[in-house]
Amino acid sequence: MNIAVVGTGYVGLVTGVTLSDIGHNVTCIDIDKEKVEIMKKGTSPLYEPGLSELMNKNIKQSRLFFTTNHAEGFANAEVIYIAVGTPENEDGSANLAYVEQVAKDIAQYVVQDLIVVTKSTVPVGTNHKIKTIITENLVNNIKFEVVSNPEFLKEGSAIKDSFEGDRIVIGADSSEASAIIEKINQPFGVPVFRTDVRSAEMIKYASNAFLATKISFINEISNICDRVEANVEDVAKGMGMDKRIGPDFLKAGLGYGGSCFPKDTKALIQIAGNVHYDFQLLKGVVNVNRKQQRMIIEKLLERMPDIKGKRIAVLGLSFKPNTDDMREAASIVVTNSLIDRGAEVIAYDPIAMNNAKKILAPEVEYSTSVKGAINESDAVLILTEWDEIKDIDLNFFSEMKYPLVVDGRNCFDLETMREHHIEYHSVGRPSISCQFEKTYA
Amino acid sequence: MKIAVIGTGYVGLVTGVCLAELGHHVTCIDVDQEKVEKLNSGKSPIYEEGLEELLQKNLHNEQVEFTTEYQQGLKDKQLVYLAVGTPQGEDGSADLTYIEAASRDIAEHLENDTVIVTKSTVPVGTNEYIKEIIEANLVHEVHIKIASNPEFLRQGSAVYDTFHGDRIVIGSDDEEALELLEAVNAGFNLPIVKTDLRSAEMIKYASNAFLATKISFINEMANLSEKIGANIDHVARGMGMDKRIGESFLNAGIGFGGSCFPKDTRAIISIGKEIAYDMPILENVVDVNERQRSIIVDKLLKRVYDLKGKKVAVLGLSFKPNTDDMREAPSIAVTEKLLEEGATVVAYDPVAVANAKKVLPGQVNYAESAEEAVQGADVAIILTEWKQIKEFPLTGYKERMNKALLFDGRNCFNLDQVKDSGVEYHSIGRPVIYG
Repeated sequence: MNIAVVGTGYVGLVTGVTLSDIGHNVTCIDIDKEKVEIMKKGTSPLYEPGLSELMNKNIKQSRLFFTTNHAEGFANAEVIYIAVGTPENEDGSANLAYVEQVAKDIAQYVVQDLIVVTKSTVPVGTNHKIKTIITENLVNNIKFEVVSNPEFLKEGSAIKDSFEGDRIVIGADSSEASAIIEKINQPFGVPVFRTDVRSAEMIKYASNAFLATKISFINEISNICDRVEANVEDVAKGMGMDKRIGPDFLKAGLGYGGSCFPKDTKALIQIAGNVHYDFQLLKGVVNVNRKQQRMIIEKLLERMPDIKGKRIAVLGLSFKPNTDDMREAASIVVTNSLIDRGAEVIAYDPIAMNNAKKILAPEVEYSTSVKGAINESDAVLILTEWDEIKDIDLNFFSEMKYPLVVDGRNCFDLETMREHHIEYHSVGRPSISCQFEKTYA
Repeated sequence: MKIAVIGTGYVGLVTGVCLAELGHHVTCIDVDQEKVEKLNSGKSPIYEEGLEELLQKNLHNEQVEFTTEYQQGLKDKQLVYLAVGTPQGEDGSADLTYIEAASRDIAEHLENDTVIVTKSTVPVGTNEYIKEIIEANLVHEVHIKIASNPEFLRQGSAVYDTFHGDRIVIGSDDEEALELLEAVNAGFNLPIVKTDLRSAEMIKYASNAFLATKISFINEMANLSEKIGANIDHVARGMGMDKRIGESFLNAGIGFGGSCFPKDTRAIISIGKEIAYDMPILENVVDVNERQRSIIVDKLLKRVYDLKGKKVAVLGLSFKPNTDDMREAPSIAVTEKLLEEGATVVAYDPVAVANAKKVLPGQVNYAESAEEAVQGADVAIILTEWKQIKEFPLTGYKERMNKALLFDGRNCFNLDQVKDSGVEYHSIGRPVIYG
């Protein structure tokens, strides 16, 4: 099948590359000339394990092309995927300007019958809107159908997810169009669920909102555990063994971040608001998450009330491990708060430091190694559970002036920290005091 | 092993009988003389599939016995299970009166070292409190250890769940007590989670509160789907295929009831209040559930306006199928509201009618079957998804009602089934079908 993918952000690029890998001829279109040149050489503009390899392979086999030219990209396309961004407006709603522009471009340039597939996460009703825009602006006399095919990729494992996902959702009001999109996706070997357009749009929001709920739920429980001296890891294990609950997304920590959960939960609240429905439960989820990002500062201040002039090491900056994505990362709120209180901040992240420099306060210093960050610091905060941070040599902590670690991601075993004489505060677990002769300065 | 179980309510009786079935020698103690006699004659005071058979078998094999006497019941027992009720106090917290009374009775009569095992659902910290009460009131010089072993039974399948549950949680701060409990439960062949006392107590509350959250979440999605023109069956299916979400507890309806979810969710909120910690998610879960109950009557009133003199058939009364439990059942609020609006109510439930008569308003009439209930009715409402109700055919409504107008609070029918059935069908989170 000849396919065009519009937008080479995270979703668009992964979609285009994986569709070419299962044998389709794919042209990815992006208006950013420089980016297109880079991608033509087989270089991925974003960090995603396995993506560059697949790009190179399919470029070599002449199944994957990049262009800035819509007319060229749409020339033979039987299916066009819309995969441009839908950033968050100030009121939490999704900004559809890019999507609408693509619809107009399609109307202007397409020369044959085709199916338009929306990959971008869009509010309920948007696919019908896309259909209207294309119909109203159509230059050539062609027929088209609109299909919703929401992406369920996880940053850091997007390639794997494409081939091993739990389901592919296809929403269409035409069963012929639905059947064609099912056929395109067949080689992925993932179960397909066909439904109407609106329900497909809802599935995407509902799924992310539910997972966000699960995260905020366990964080609420962890805060109770903190106060009643239970251990949230054991509580989560006991809960997760219940098959109706399941073990995933029950890790207490600093809450969710990234480009999906915060945006999609707020968008769903907004969608509900538009039809005068007050989605109370989800509002609670968003509130808990907001508070949770600040929780680690409270824990630090409880232990060290005045951090003015203190040197605080911050380990991990990206919103989760294995990505350089800084969107809605807890590190933003945390470093700002530390600097506001007069602390010196020395940060380390294995991958995300370049992105972090664009977003974090300019006062933040960066270290090229974990050890460099910890050295000479008065306290260590852990914000992202990178393997490199979890596997750290614990003697680095022991060698601090006074070993004080506040861990927002429960990276370490309590017993091990006790054995290393490290004062250790984590999330929803008993604190470990430092039974060591070093005194707190 | 020799075990005493205190309390022969739902949890105590199932626990005692199932432990006996594993080969332990079990003595169940209850202060209610009449109940004890009934049990000794092999009659179960509650309806629970398979329970009476197991009871009779183990009475016959002399593996289980029932008594009102603590002294005799506690004699030589290696473990004493506390399985008395913890009803909800007025402020939503758990009422520990029965636990406290049982603890004092144990202290008075205990003559040998033993492990006290709490089966009842109790707030975090209660096990330490139980230990204090017993130790403060001991008459003989004995040592006790304390452990938590929360029950995860579902009414209607409690016996099955005991043998096929997902996990057994045992919590204690004493290693020997943990080992003993592990040995007692080994025969069930289920995965065992060993943890400390407080975490074990939390697991029970957190699990039920999470399932309640899942129900309220999907109910909110259903309300939203209705307004937006999506179909909640499809939304739930697409969500549930995500393994991190899972398909269970994603059935939209008129909310949860029963003795566990409402009570445990409020209890955890109340634990939060005591330590000045707000729980916005769980507070909303409870609020949403309250609202969800009235949704079916709201839909009905929107469609019919005036219920005065109308005959309404109510199908299903228990809070869920396969139980006669009426605690926190939506049928209570629904029938009250219908009567208030001036309707005549005819109710049917396969099992719960006897219990329903005690809690529903006196004006409610009862039918022997779904056929009889809908005969000549103006409106029918489904509140519980009993098999008998799901399998009552749409033609039955069409043929027996004045005009077949059905409000289904449990989405018992597939929309394709309803099309061309001649039944006007309103359900939860799905388009109205004018069949």
